[in-house]
Amino acid sequence: MTKTLLTIVIISIMIQLFLNNSYAVEPEEFLQNPKQEMRARDISKNIRCLVCQNQSIDDSAAPLAKDLRALIRIKVQENDTDEEIYKFLTDRYGDFILLKPPFKISTFLLWSLPFVFFIIGIFILFLHNKKSKKTFGKFNVLLIFLFFSI
Amino acid sequence: MRKKILIFPFIAFFFVLLVFFYLLVIERDPSELPSVLIDKKVPTFETDSLLNKETFISKNEFGSEITLVNFFATWCGPCRDEHVYLKRLSNEKGLKIIGVNYKDNPNKAVEWLEELGNPYSDVIVDSKGLIGIDWGVYGIPETYIVNSKGIIKYRLVGPITKKKYNAFYSKIKESED
Repeated sequence: MTKTLLTIVIISIMIQLFLNNSYAVEPEEFLQNPKQEMRARDISKNIRCLVCQNQSIDDSAAPLAKDLRALIRIKVQENDTDEEIYKFLTDRYGDFILLKPPFKISTFLLWSLPFVFFIIGIFILFLHNKKSKKTFGKFNVLLIFLFFSI
Repeated sequence: MRKKILIFPFIAFFFVLLVFFYLLVIERDPSELPSVLIDKKVPTFETDSLLNKETFISKNEFGSEITLVNFFATWCGPCRDEHVYLKRLSNEKGLKIIGVNYKDNPNKAVEWLEELGNPYSDVIVDSKGLIGIDWGVYGIPETYIVNSKGIIKYRLVGPITKKKYNAFYSKIKESED
């Protein structure tokens, strides 16, 4: 029981950490039009800062991130579509600038392997349970539930 | 039967360990990114020249001989270190080098060139870093090799060092193939 409680506490802390994202956008960068600003922010969150590499340009204080944020805001004001803005950036910096890699032939394994491993995992679980002649354990249900909640 | 299966995780673990060890030992810089502009035409742009009063028009500058494009700034320490190698490429090898003064103070840049010497055939001003973005620059110094057809063939991220100079020079020679 305590184990389950502990798991719940840890997971809720992790969720908090994910939700509570800080950002580096400075007030003078904001656009007057709140709708456009929201769009620029949404795009910035998907763009990798190439200096820090594991931060989005929305989070990063690097000068290049600031330049790219400004550029995205100019393009949003010029009514470029999201696709046009992403294409502009990937034409210059490659797919690496997108925090979420696109689904392509070269990224097929990257996207498909987790599902393959998940199926193998379930298979092993069932096999294991069959052998030890137990009913489908509560612990296993919790594991699968956790997987989907992520 | 059960014991035999148990050996597989160990083999898998050992394999992963081997891969990690290999990546640790080989010489590589994980922060260095490949350029998507390789084998593409140079971006077109127009900007001010730092030393002449004429506008720099990229269409007139590329496509006749091998040209290096070097992004530098006076606030960038490694740029100072690589300067001697740029001079060597310009003076000894007679290569055309275009300097892009990236997000810098123009007065300081002129002083810098007077102090260290000018290896560049032309120095252009990129005050907002927009030319840099067009070239996919993410950390200066960066040096691009453009061949005589105006195609980008190589990008070096980071300074040209004593260690990298020879390899870099052979990349220049290979750029015409």
